[in-house]
Amino acid sequence: MTKKPDHSPADAPCEHCGIFSVPGSDAIQGAWRDITYSPVRDRIWTASEGIYRSVFVEGRRGILAFDTFSTPGGARAYRGAMQRVFPRKPVHTIVYSHDHLDHSGYAADLAPEADIVAHDLCNRVIAGRKSDGQIPANEVWSGERRHYDIDGIEFELIYPGPTHGDGNVAAWFPSSGLLFMVDTVIPGVGYTFFPDWHLSPYVPAMRRLLELDWDIFVPGHFWVTDRAGFIANLDYYDRMAEHAQKAIAAGYDPDEKADITAYTREHLAPEFGHLFRFDEYATLNLARYMHHYLTGGWGIEGNMSAPDEPL
Amino acid sequence: MNKSGHKGIFTLEGIDAYLDREARLETTQLSDRLWTVSDGKYRSLFLEAQHSVIAFDTFGTPAKARAYAAEIDRITGKPIKTVIYTHDHLDHAGFAADLAPEAEIVADEMTRQVVALRGATGQSRVSRPLSGREHRFEFDGAEFLLLNRGPVHGTGHLSAWFEVEKLFFSSDTILPNARYGLLPDTHLTNFVGIMRSYLDLDFERFVPGRYEVTDRAGFETGCDYIEAMQISCQKAFLDFVPIWVEDAMAAYVRDQLGPRFGHLDGFDTHCGPTGMRIVHHYLMGGWGLEDSPEPGILLAD
Repeated sequence: MTKKPDHSPADAPCEHCGIFSVPGSDAIQGAWRDITYSPVRDRIWTASEGIYRSVFVEGRRGILAFDTFSTPGGARAYRGAMQRVFPRKPVHTIVYSHDHLDHSGYAADLAPEADIVAHDLCNRVIAGRKSDGQIPANEVWSGERRHYDIDGIEFELIYPGPTHGDGNVAAWFPSSGLLFMVDTVIPGVGYTFFPDWHLSPYVPAMRRLLELDWDIFVPGHFWVTDRAGFIANLDYYDRMAEHAQKAIAAGYDPDEKADITAYTREHLAPEFGHLFRFDEYATLNLARYMHHYLTGGWGIEGNMSAPDEPL
Repeated sequence: MNKSGHKGIFTLEGIDAYLDREARLETTQLSDRLWTVSDGKYRSLFLEAQHSVIAFDTFGTPAKARAYAAEIDRITGKPIKTVIYTHDHLDHAGFAADLAPEAEIVADEMTRQVVALRGATGQSRVSRPLSGREHRFEFDGAEFLLLNRGPVHGTGHLSAWFEVEKLFFSSDTILPNARYGLLPDTHLTNFVGIMRSYLDLDFERFVPGRYEVTDRAGFETGCDYIEAMQISCQKAFLDFVPIWVEDAMAAYVRDQLGPRFGHLDGFDTHCGPTGMRIVHHYLMGGWGLEDSPEPGILLAD
């Protein structure tokens, strides 16, 4: 593993302030977050501050933590939570699920000396971003699958294709039957306007993970679910793609929010109105999918096909 | 099946009526060689050269592309020999096969890659890719500048400067109003800096890719608006606004920016979605390599 560069500029407007360019963010960035934690299975634990969720695993010498939470204060609280569970074990390894700052932006506050593992596609963006507090990885891998045995913790990292963000990987613990993946399958409807989701390859790429043997799915937000919850969530995306095209065919404009809201209430509520956060986000979900079909997908990631072959 | 069979990336069987829906286009002459065409929302531009026409973009359906071709033929009576894609998106550049199937297709190299990968039906492949920041485009007696100063919107975005007319054309970047919506596929890290850099060009009129033609002051106001929105969205964090709630974001940015920008058309209804989009830029750190602080990273040269 190679030495990690420091991206903390001397003239930053705050301490580990991500990409904020205005002064004064210390109060919210540094605020302590109450983290709850519980065992999931075997030596795998999950931690959440209510909205964000991650997992950490006990090794022989120390702890392997996924991601960093969303702020410097959140990262410190995450470390505090792990220390309450394993007071004599340091966080020696961080695995980045993907590049976004709200999940992996603050290793400098979580465990600045830890080794950091990331997919090459993720690390390229992190290296280019130079965000204050986000430390590039020193163990970078590429391809679709990589087996790791770190401090007695055996798991596999899997890149199923473009889904959300860059180099977004699932962590599979075969002996525990557990899959962890961030900002993809999330209980309820999709988050806001599917920020940085790559909608063309998304569902086929995610369905590839069903080839693996697992029965617990830990998402990057809200509550732990299972295989049935995972499948139902992907089905929602398929139906949203269909409804988006129907709305366009019917002459709706995704920029006209009142019209899209009316369409959502009339056509989507009967089927999906019971889902968590339907009222808040279904309209945005639909508008985003409509933009996808009108524009044709965004960039290279948004126009790739998920590989057809098995993982 | 619609008339041409070109469907972009749509998969719905019932989409054909939309793709064939008759379009009414309005054409306005800008100079002795330049015209701008609009369907009421989207806007493009074409240039009459000595023996042919150079058309920017295609409009977003086969029917609109055919109507665009008919409008060009009605006005000039000359064949469209060149189509320039301003960027890769289908709603602007998706249907050259309906507009001018024999034309040479000019676009940035990055656009070429996305168009080839996408394989959308109706979006002709790029036959003349360009690399780098600036090209003096000369064809059939016409001359103007094509510019790509970095990622702003879509992939391989090209703007055009017509020095003789003192006119600047840039599709889906700056608008003459506040109707930015969710700013789809806009790369915010360098957006304002790059767009403002075009003010080093001598232009008096600005033709956007949507809505009405404006002037240099209107262009500067657009840059100011997005920049102010970026600052306001960062302040929303500092003021503990629940940034994941659209109504809360809308109320916050409306209060912050209304006194200065509330007169812009669409401000009240669009400031919420635009605020949601921009606040997530700061939460997540930008999206992909396009949002790297050094924008040259994605120029194909």
